[in-house]
Amino acid sequence: MDILVIHLFNALLYASVLFLIAGGLSLIYGVMRIVNLAHGNLYALGAFATASAVGQWFGGSNSVWLYFLLPTGAVAAAAIGAVLEPTLLRPFYRRPEEYQLLVTFGLLMILEDVMRFIWGPYPVSATVLFEKMGSAQIGEFIYPRYNLLVIGIGGLAAFLLWAFIYRTRFGVVLRATSQDMRRASALGINVNAVYVQAFTIGCFMAGLAGAIVVPGQSAVLGMGVDALVLSFIVVVIGGLGSLEGALVGALIVGLLREFAISTFPELELAVLYLIAAVVLLVRPAGLFGRTT
Amino acid sequence: MAGRPTRRDFLSRLGVTAAAAVGGSAAGLGLAGIARAEEKPKGTIPDKPFKIGHMTFFTGAGAVLGEPMFKGGLLAADEINEKGGLLGKRKIELLKADEAAGTDANTKEMRRLKLSEKIDMFMGITSSGNTPALGPVAEELRLLTMFIDGCTDFLFDKAVPNPHYIFRITNIQSADGSTCALGVAMTWPDVKKVAHIHPDYSYGRNCFDHFSIVTKKLLPAAQNVSEAWPKLFSTDFTPHITKSLAAKPDLLVTSLWGGDYVAFYKQALQHGLFSKMKVATTLALGSAPQSIGKDHPEGVLTGCHANYHFSYPAGNRWPLNKTFVERYKAKFNEYPNFQAEGAYTATYVLKTAIEKANKLMGGWPDDDAIISQMEGMMYPGPGGYVYIRPDNHQGYKDAITGFSKNVPEYPFPILDPARIITIPIRNITAPPGWPKGDPTSTYTWIDQTWPQVKAT
Repeated sequence: MDILVIHLFNALLYASVLFLIAGGLSLIYGVMRIVNLAHGNLYALGAFATASAVGQWFGGSNSVWLYFLLPTGAVAAAAIGAVLEPTLLRPFYRRPEEYQLLVTFGLLMILEDVMRFIWGPYPVSATVLFEKMGSAQIGEFIYPRYNLLVIGIGGLAAFLLWAFIYRTRFGVVLRATSQDMRRASALGINVNAVYVQAFTIGCFMAGLAGAIVVPGQSAVLGMGVDALVLSFIVVVIGGLGSLEGALVGALIVGLLREFAISTFPELELAVLYLIAAVVLLVRPAGLFGRTT
Repeated sequence: MAGRPTRRDFLSRLGVTAAAAVGGSAAGLGLAGIARAEEKPKGTIPDKPFKIGHMTFFTGAGAVLGEPMFKGGLLAADEINEKGGLLGKRKIELLKADEAAGTDANTKEMRRLKLSEKIDMFMGITSSGNTPALGPVAEELRLLTMFIDGCTDFLFDKAVPNPHYIFRITNIQSADGSTCALGVAMTWPDVKKVAHIHPDYSYGRNCFDHFSIVTKKLLPAAQNVSEAWPKLFSTDFTPHITKSLAAKPDLLVTSLWGGDYVAFYKQALQHGLFSKMKVATTLALGSAPQSIGKDHPEGVLTGCHANYHFSYPAGNRWPLNKTFVERYKAKFNEYPNFQAEGAYTATYVLKTAIEKANKLMGGWPDDDAIISQMEGMMYPGPGGYVYIRPDNHQGYKDAITGFSKNVPEYPFPILDPARIITIPIRNITAPPGWPKGDPTSTYTWIDQTWPQVKAT
């Protein structure tokens, strides 16, 4: 029984992080119709920035205040997003999609090299946040309390995002722009401003995912590309452009992965691609995708 | 069955020994390398640079191994160049290439380096996925090649069974799983239930296979109770740890390495894993010594690719190691790993072969002359003698493993100097003349020739 609870926590832990990454990717696509391939490395950048803040600048400190440095990565990724959208992406909206893919893919690789340049080839960690919270007793097992914090942040982020999009005026504007950019623009909405805000929020989510992952794991080169592939699986299952889809997709991936590892270990890698393939066959637009 | 040896008999027959490494400073032994008089080369030597294409991981998660490899090669090249270069004339020039480009791009890059850059030699490679692809290309290009790692048995078992131009310096992969299993059989002969966590690619599979075949022979009562195969370069091991804990094993065996292992042990600590079971690893202390913190538990069987850890041989017992570590530390402000030692030694193997060939023939020796001198060479590197087997061009050096221990001298754990386990490499690898086998020749050799010890 205890072990089932732990399996569930593990699944939720994985899903929380995946939701943040895939949700950001989906939000950006939903509003701007742009597949941001650089998204994976904004996640990695979030991880490196938080690791720097916690593990290097304040390395050796053991204060509770360190937890307030956790969002450093999210803020850093958002700041980069706010600069990238108007400068690099905006000129390409009128061009065919291939251009956007090329630009964002190039950006993915540039960011990878920038991170290597700044942080070097070795893993950077911020484990003090992970270790400080200790472990909780669950039956005969112990479980890191920090993981529960990550699950909490993931859940809270999902709720806030929902409230933001469906319960605020800006959310209405965002949804209107997403449904029909031209008409929204004709109604006096500053589409450029909406775009930069949506892109920044998307990057913030990616950075936040990296920031909350890094204390329990570590920031390593290459983590961004892996995360990008995983978040594509999530949005393929959930439907690109849909936040509900990202949430449900992340939960499905989290649960299936946990199930596969504990029962058919050899299937760990294959199972995610299998489910994505099945969804593509049955519902090509994903579970919550818009069929246009 | 009569005539079956006991485990202890067979281990001592294999020469598996746990010896206290005599450390400390033996005054008066502070030699800087082998002080051998530099002889004047015979004949006229051209003074154009000797170009070595060095391909390894400079980006991505593999850079944790690739960077030290390049640094080891660079240190050797700088030392040789300071004395005028190869045969006192030809300075070594290193050309970097990034292995992270992918296997396909790597083979193209190897061709480009040979055909456009006119490299004299190719060196490097970390991934076992790349050596079997690059080996045949090097043979086709007639490109003198020294692979540093990419240590899969498959390269010389199947991909290039009769190599001419290609060599490989670090130990063959199967030695890793076998060494780990012998360490377990010797230290914890009572283990019954074994859990495994291995990265899901050729290295992890190979470690699992060879650990399993050796334990089948030496620990007949042990059985696998859990397996987990995380993706290479992942950093979330929570589910794999949960699964291992739930199976309640006596021993966990893992071949995770680099950033993966760092993330793993930090998470395992918070799950209390190390206090519930013994842990044996193949490569924990192998990738970058400074990446493991002092929070790592002591007494874990911590492997170093069965190959080299900078703390052994200790003190002045093997001056070549002392000077290598000191120079490496002075130049890069970190400690060398097995790949740094591999690239360093490989460069000196090359230098020695060129000098020997020059002595015989005069002038700059051609590739065939260099190759004939490398074949069968026994070279004293920082980690000990490495023997280049003439039939398969594989470098062999005695396998080592040991137990993690914190000492005041270093800010990270090292191999406990009092409990180093060493194994003569010839006793755990398939000998010359043994037919090529599946999954590896060493596997079939162990399976068919090692006795089944008495269950105790």
